[in-house]
Amino acid sequence: MTRDDAALALLTAHVRAQTFVVIPVFNEGAVIGEVLDQLVQHFPNVVCVDDGSSDGTWEALRSHAPHALRHLVNRGQGAALQTGTEYALRCGALRIAHFDADGQHRIEDLERMVAAVARGDCDIALGDRFAGNAASVPLGRRMVLRAAVVFHRIVSGIALNDVHNGLRVFSRVAAERIEMTADRMAHASELIDLIAQSQLRVLQFPVTIRYTEYSRAKGQSWTGGFRILFHYLVGRALD
Amino acid sequence: MTPFQIFLVVVLASGMVAVVICLSKGLIGRLAATCAATVCAAGIAFAIEPNWTTSIAHRLGISRGTDLLLYLLVLTVLYGFLLIYLKLRRVRRELTLLVREIAIREAERKSPAPQQPPDSAQ
Repeated sequence: MTRDDAALALLTAHVRAQTFVVIPVFNEGAVIGEVLDQLVQHFPNVVCVDDGSSDGTWEALRSHAPHALRHLVNRGQGAALQTGTEYALRCGALRIAHFDADGQHRIEDLERMVAAVARGDCDIALGDRFAGNAASVPLGRRMVLRAAVVFHRIVSGIALNDVHNGLRVFSRVAAERIEMTADRMAHASELIDLIAQSQLRVLQFPVTIRYTEYSRAKGQSWTGGFRILFHYLVGRALD
Repeated sequence: MTPFQIFLVVVLASGMVAVVICLSKGLIGRLAATCAATVCAAGIAFAIEPNWTTSIAHRLGISRGTDLLLYLLVLTVLYGFLLIYLKLRRVRRELTLLVREIAIREAERKSPAPQQPPDSAQ
C-alpha cells in the first residue's frame, strides 16, 4: 500500500462529510453543474457561494449544490470564500477546502490534501502546481506566478512554491484563526500573509491544474495581476 | 473690493456657516470642523487681502502667492482623496459583512442540515 493509498484509506464517509468544500461562483453557469455533480459524489457537503451572478448560475446551484449561498451583489472571490468558510464553520465543519468553480482542480488532489489534514500532518494543505505536472501551465502565467513566489518570500517571509493556487484545505482551527478581509483577488496574497503570521503547520501538495480554454478565459490578465498587487499593497498598508 | 472678491467672501462665509451647522448636528467631528473652518477663514482673509499670500509665500521661500495657493490646493485635494478612499474602504467592508450575513442567514433558513454519513462512528 503506497502512502497515498494509506492516506486515502483515512477518507471514510465520516471524514468526507466533516469536510466542507467551499466554491466561490461567479457566472459559471456553463460548467458549475458538471463540476458539482462530480464533487458531491466524493464530498457531500459542498458549499457554493454565488457572488451575484447574472447568467443563471444561481438556478444551477439550487439544483446541484447541497449548500447554496448567494451574495445579493458581487463582492469578489475573497469575500465569497470567506462567506462560505464562515457558513461551513457554523455548520460544524472540521475541515474546510477551497475549490475552483471552473473545473480546473482534480478531486483526487483534493482527497490527498484532505487526508493529510484529517491525519493531522498539517493544519493547512496548499496545492502546488509546480511540483505536479507543470507542463500545462501557460508560460506567461508561469512567469507571473514565479514572480509572486519571490515577492512573497521577500514581503511575507514565507517560502512557498505556489502562492496563488486556489486548491487549499484548512483544519477547523486554521479556518477559525485565518479571516480574509480582502474581498477581491488580492485575497490570495493576503492569505499568504495570514498563514505566515499564524504559525500554523503548512504542507504543499503536488497538484495538476487543468488549463482549459474556458479556465484560461476566466483567468487573470497581466493588468489584473497589477491590480491585485495594488490592492494587496494598499490593504497591507492601511489594515 | 471687486465683485469677485465679494462673491468669494460670501461663498466662503456660507461654507463656514455650513460647517457650524454640520458640527452642531453632529454630522462631522470637531477636528474636521476645525480644519474646514480654518480653510474657509484663510480663504476669506486671502480674498480680502490677496497680498498676504505673497508675503507668506516669501517667508516660506516661494516666489509667488499664487504658487503657494496652488501647492496648498494640491495637498488639500490629495488629503481629500485619501479621506474619501478610506471612507470608501470602510463602506465596502461593511457592505461585504452585510451581504455575507444575509447570504448565510438565508442559507441557514433554506438549506437542510449538513450531510452526515449513515454510520456516525468515525
